[in-house]
Amino acid sequence: MAAATGDREEVVLETQDLRKHFGGVRAVNGVDLTIPYGDLRAIIGPNGAGKTTLFNLITGDLRHESGRVSFRGEEISRLSPDKVCRRGIGRTFQIASVFRRLTVIENVQTALLSHHRRHYNLFADAARLYRDRALTLLDRVGLREQAGKPGGILSHGDQRRLELAIALASEPRLLMLDEPTAGMAPNERHTLMALVARIAADTGLTVLFTEHDMDVVFAVARRITVMHQGCVLAEGTPQEIRRDPEVHRIYLGYTKAR
Amino acid sequence: MTTSLFPWISNGPLIAVQVMSGLSVGMFLFLLSAGLSLIFGVTRIVNLAHGSFYMVGAYLMAELIEVLPGNPMSFWIALVLAPIGVAILGGVIEITLLRRVYRRDPTMQLILTFALILIIGTLVLLVWGPDNKSVARPEALAGSVRILGQPFPSYYLLVLGLSPLVAVGLWLVFYRTRWGMLVRAATVDREMLGALGVDVSRLYTQVFAFGSWLAGLAGALAAPTVAVALGMDADVLINALVVVVIGGLGSFAGTLISALVVGELQSFGILIFPGVSIVLPFALMAVVLMIRPWGLLGEPEE
Amino acid sequence: MARSTVMLTAALAIALVLPLVLSAFYVVLLIEIAVAALFATAFNLLMGFGGMVSFGHAAYFALGAYAAALLAQKAEWPMLAAFAAAPLVAAFGALIFGFFIVRLTHTYFAMLSLAFAQILYTIIFKWTSLTGGDNGLLNVWPPAFLRSVTAYYYFTLLVIGVCFLALHAIVNSPFGYALKAIRENPRRARFIGVNVRRHQLCAFVLSGFFSGVAGAVYAFHNGSVFPDFAFFTKSFEPLVVVLLGGMQSFYGPLAGAFGFKVMEWLISRWAPIYWPLFLGTILIVVIVVLPQGFVGLFERRAWRLRPVTGKK
Repeated sequence: MAAATGDREEVVLETQDLRKHFGGVRAVNGVDLTIPYGDLRAIIGPNGAGKTTLFNLITGDLRHESGRVSFRGEEISRLSPDKVCRRGIGRTFQIASVFRRLTVIENVQTALLSHHRRHYNLFADAARLYRDRALTLLDRVGLREQAGKPGGILSHGDQRRLELAIALASEPRLLMLDEPTAGMAPNERHTLMALVARIAADTGLTVLFTEHDMDVVFAVARRITVMHQGCVLAEGTPQEIRRDPEVHRIYLGYTKAR
Repeated sequence: MTTSLFPWISNGPLIAVQVMSGLSVGMFLFLLSAGLSLIFGVTRIVNLAHGSFYMVGAYLMAELIEVLPGNPMSFWIALVLAPIGVAILGGVIEITLLRRVYRRDPTMQLILTFALILIIGTLVLLVWGPDNKSVARPEALAGSVRILGQPFPSYYLLVLGLSPLVAVGLWLVFYRTRWGMLVRAATVDREMLGALGVDVSRLYTQVFAFGSWLAGLAGALAAPTVAVALGMDADVLINALVVVVIGGLGSFAGTLISALVVGELQSFGILIFPGVSIVLPFALMAVVLMIRPWGLLGEPEE
Repeated sequence: MARSTVMLTAALAIALVLPLVLSAFYVVLLIEIAVAALFATAFNLLMGFGGMVSFGHAAYFALGAYAAALLAQKAEWPMLAAFAAAPLVAAFGALIFGFFIVRLTHTYFAMLSLAFAQILYTIIFKWTSLTGGDNGLLNVWPPAFLRSVTAYYYFTLLVIGVCFLALHAIVNSPFGYALKAIRENPRRARFIGVNVRRHQLCAFVLSGFFSGVAGAVYAFHNGSVFPDFAFFTKSFEPLVVVLLGGMQSFYGPLAGAFGFKVMEWLISRWAPIYWPLFLGTILIVVIVVLPQGFVGLFERRAWRLRPVTGKK
């Protein structure tokens, strides 16, 4: 694990015995997770393993039944999503979630306005606020030329980049990406995740993401957590996971053994 | 509110009579609201024109009674024919208009049905003129009977008797016939039903016509007891909405229970809070919407 | 942007000059158009910009009208004081009702807003000692210097103009951006730190405030207030106006109010019986054929939004 230096916390996110069930289904069944600073953690598992539910529990979109979630040492188990965001967690969603009828730059500006708590201002001309900062963010994700277009007409991949820019606008310490590359062509996926890794390295961001494409996972992730039926099946470096017989057993048919 | 529908709600001292009047109001409300609930349950549209269909039923009843020969059977014939007329109207409206908006968002659908209120209202005015109509009760039911010493108009026995029959009939239709099973399936999962080869759009038309039939029946039944006049649609619509929201949009049992509750609330409300009793059903509706928006027995929607 | 400023200035200039050339009858019509335009624009803050469709907005119009009338008549406040306080009453009503209403969405939102409006209507109707019940309150006139049609017209223009400026600012402010974001994607809005419910409630209160202004202006113009200012059919007026004019643009409701009132006047002159029929037909046409309203016809259809994809 990366050693703590200076004022950086060693552990950014921690869950303890997190549980959630829907009716009779145990979607998340006692998950302990520890994400250190600077980690690029992939959460993998077959469909229904509980990955998105886990995300939703952490971000406050779902109420957990038992367990705790703490972020940078502070318990966030009972906070609503908007408060979780303000604590420093950014998130993207499984289905590309942008503000479709706002322009690309307005999308980012809105996120910035909210982050700086100016969204109750009734009189300022919002179009002029945080314009430069928004353009910088768009530059980072490669969307500067599309700044004036409505978010909804962007290609799928570009919408995901926009979502990334929106999430980054809130200056998070932890970025949670739920299937960030779903629906993309393979080379697009690598490009996007490489971008994420680069931004993370540049800004000291910790990243937690779910993913189905094993190539991407092994290329980008520093550590991998494997989930199965609501539990953590295995956890370790990509090397360790690749050699783990249990993982092979579960994933037989999902990926070729290397 | 409902007092205009049942002007005879007694202020008598006997609890039993109060309960009875509440019961008859409730049964009538059920008859009125069942169609609305059914239509929502299947098509997910709140048909604001439901009150208008009720009104058309009442006017058709009045018209038929005028036109048919004056023998005692005419009343019953009219009672059968009037709702059928409304059903046809409903079917036509569904085919020509509603079909186009199923995919639109619910607000647009609501506005469309609201527009129907305006159109149907004007058409009724054009056809039948602005004056009230009155419908005479059939001879057999023109008098009153004594129940526990209090006079009780015989005609309301018809409502009291018919509504449970209709309720049972509805239950039989929905739980004992194939068509009913399809309708219930449609409330749960339309797409699946379509995928199974059922002609879902025809089913929708049938459901809408059936719901309209129920509204027309309520109107026809009410015709001899109230002033058949313009404006009865708005009155009744609000009543039906209250009942259906409280009971749960789309739930039959919910509508039944809710109708009875609202009926008793009206009946006792007049005794206990005379000035304010009119507000009680709305207040209850507001409370239900605040605490449990999908009603007592409805299904939470996402 | 410059083009619209020019157009607005021209429109304003015309508006200032009109009473000098038109007869009193038309000036009255203009006043009523202005009131309808403000009501519809306030309503559109919620509908077009906030994505919340209220079926009971007449409540706030009525609260504004009745508050103005009651304060002026029974409490004997000077008209301007009553006029200033009335929208606050409406805003307060919006706060109370809105607190419960914004917890719901879509159909239930509409139904609860309708229920509250009907409760208010029933209270007004029944509380005869205070509100005059079905007879309403009469002799609600402005002071002498505003009593002529022309004078009241300029007053209306001033008030409505200021309100439009304020609403325009709000829509383009950070508050407006966040509101639009909530309309587009509430879940995403939450995850940029916006407290969705609180924001929507604020929008609701603002909308109620300006609806109250419209009500107050109308009260003194009409000289009387009646319970059916709160009846649910009145709630549909701003809805129709917005649909006619287009809900996505700020000036859509203004255009819609113009068209609506002119049509209402024309039809009422020729054959008043047909007005609801006409209105209903127009509504149906607009819904079935023109989702963007008539103004939408003239806007560029250059952008066609991609359907939401990305499902597994």
